[in-house]
Amino acid sequence: MTSRIKIDPISRIEGHLRIDAEVDGGRVSKAWASCTMWRGIENILIGRDPREAWLFAQRFCGVCTTVHALASVRAVEDALKLQIPPNAQYIRNIILIHHALHDHIVHFYHLSALDWIDVLQIPNADPAKTASLAQSLSSWTRNSPQEFKSAQDKVKALAASGQLGIFANGYWGHPAMHLPPEVSLLGFTHYLQALEFQRKSNQVVAILGGKTPHIQNMTVGGVGNAIDLDSLGTLTMDRLTMIRSLIDEVIPFVHQAYLPDVCAIAGMYPEWLDIGCGAKNYLAVPDLPSDGSASHFDLPGGVIFSGDLAGVKKFQSAADPDFRRAVTEDATHAWYKGGTLHPWKGQTVPEYTDFQENGKYTWVKAPRYGGRPMEVGPLANVLVGYAQGHPLTRKWTDLALGRISAVARRKVTVDDLQSTMGRYAARAVRSAMLADLAVKHCELLTDNILSGDVATHNPPQFPKGEVEGVGTHEAPRGTLSHWVVVKDAKLANYQAVVPTTWNASPRDSQGNVGPYEASLMRNPVADPERPLELLRTVHSFDPCMACACHTFDPDGREIARVKVL
Amino acid sequence: MNKVLIAGIGNVLLGDDGVGPFSIKVLESQYDFEGNVELVDLGTPGLDLPVYLSGANAVILVDSAKCGGEAGDIRLFRKQQILRNPPRARIDPHSPALTESISLLELMGEMPREFLMIGMQGGRFEPGSTLSGRVRLCIPHIIDAVRRELRRLNVWCVPKASVKPLGTWWDSFSPKTTDKALPR
Repeated sequence: MTSRIKIDPISRIEGHLRIDAEVDGGRVSKAWASCTMWRGIENILIGRDPREAWLFAQRFCGVCTTVHALASVRAVEDALKLQIPPNAQYIRNIILIHHALHDHIVHFYHLSALDWIDVLQIPNADPAKTASLAQSLSSWTRNSPQEFKSAQDKVKALAASGQLGIFANGYWGHPAMHLPPEVSLLGFTHYLQALEFQRKSNQVVAILGGKTPHIQNMTVGGVGNAIDLDSLGTLTMDRLTMIRSLIDEVIPFVHQAYLPDVCAIAGMYPEWLDIGCGAKNYLAVPDLPSDGSASHFDLPGGVIFSGDLAGVKKFQSAADPDFRRAVTEDATHAWYKGGTLHPWKGQTVPEYTDFQENGKYTWVKAPRYGGRPMEVGPLANVLVGYAQGHPLTRKWTDLALGRISAVARRKVTVDDLQSTMGRYAARAVRSAMLADLAVKHCELLTDNILSGDVATHNPPQFPKGEVEGVGTHEAPRGTLSHWVVVKDAKLANYQAVVPTTWNASPRDSQGNVGPYEASLMRNPVADPERPLELLRTVHSFDPCMACACHTFDPDGREIARVKVL
Repeated sequence: MNKVLIAGIGNVLLGDDGVGPFSIKVLESQYDFEGNVELVDLGTPGLDLPVYLSGANAVILVDSAKCGGEAGDIRLFRKQQILRNPPRARIDPHSPALTESISLLELMGEMPREFLMIGMQGGRFEPGSTLSGRVRLCIPHIIDAVRRELRRLNVWCVPKASVKPLGTWWDSFSPKTTDKALPR
């Protein structure tokens, strides 16, 4: 029997992801991903000064502000062929790393951990057993029986007061939940600790960026930070030392709590290493340049097709000639006019129809790379690096695979990461890598300043006539690219191809489904009224739809509606 | 010293959703505050909100809200009213996270002691960086509500001797950004 499920976060004005799925014999047989709000925010930028574009771009999205600021200045710098000083690269990199760490920690603990942890089981856990389990997994100093007891008491108190419902964003007691109570308590305790480390990562961004969530120091040609080791109000040795000590506090949480937690949960849900494989094509751009001219990168980029890691193609530069050429956006099934266009020629002209499963059904265009749908995000980032033999990627991936294998009692390979659980593991692996790279880039910055270089900015010169540029960034949710056309020092076109556009893309003119749609195929659905399994797979991508409006609704009875048709 | 956080929430590129950040700029340009008062435009922080709220003793949020009335109407919410409806299934990290954020802070014992949210009904939420006329006209009601709450908290705020320029760089109504005003 075929039934149809619609998960639709209903709301008057929010932009959201809607998932439609046909379920046949307990498994998804067809899926559609739809974004329910028109954005078209880029249109606000046309005609503006390219130097102020980043200020607007960082308002595209409230959570990923810095990533849009960066992609925007990089796009204009690319158009002007403007190099930036090494200090500016390092300062940008340290900001990006801490933004990403903050974002990945929030994703795992606060957005998705409760898809796997059954909070109702926490009162049944034995804190002493939890502690010995935790201590066998990691040397994290805050894995004592007292820590676990205290977290458990908080849940018990909440349950006793009848307020446990405030965390009712999961499907507790669902048949697909089967974590032992002790592991649930372990994850939940770190969920509570996570806030402290998000705050520390955020402090690093604030020290360098001037402010969060909207940094103030970005500028076309570099950064606005003045460096003077002795003067207040600038980037001084004291501040560099403070940044370093914050980094040293965040690293142990990533390496000793986040990564081990993900490995333990992955090992206990090994079936999710076989579910949720997506488009099998992966795209990541190189990032974290380690010199001013961006000739070497600490995060490698490239493309993989059809899951064939051995056939990986490496990108040599941040806006590789192949990448510039190969990206198109196809509006066949999206509520826009126009067919398939390169982003520099891209248009954002709405053409709304109703949801038509064989016609137009979403506000997201279908980006394609050489005509293929591509998955972007930490999984793509890790696979592309692993396939190239990138040492840092190999180090942390192999360590994670070993841990997952030990818990799952089966050999888990890098190919198994092409799955719902693999995306969680890859995000934790990427975080572990970024924690190492935070130290490296902090040291690069300090050493470069101590060598006497205090330059942070090269002034831009705008030519007469038209120039094009693309700025890329391997953001927490994957490859982000801003495409600009500058004419006589004004913006003539601006298109942002964001990670979720790649992942949530609809079918294209050839009928190829997008990565979300592909990943939902064959997903089990135990209870169509409570499609937890679909949320797990969609959450594994870390969707970023709303990028937008969020008006508070005090009387909203539901944020998501599940409808079985 | 007891910290008071006054935060604007909303997307300045989506019409009336920008009323929170706009109100913060109005407060900054027109008033002086006594004591440890921090004014901040938080944009749309979603699940990042707890990071910003923790550590304050009192919080005043200004946000667009569905009040059910006309554009420009305001409604005040205390913690209990926000916690009245539990959050449901969340698909992305960006959706309004006020209920979850308050719940998390409560659980951790880090919830600010005093909490007020001033919600204003918006009229127009299409992409665009200006407020609708009615919402703009009603901003003084928000300012009054903030000042009343500060008085209740025994924190003084007085009109500036000379008003500073309104720093709403995104607003097409404001004077055109000049090269000089661009951040360097």
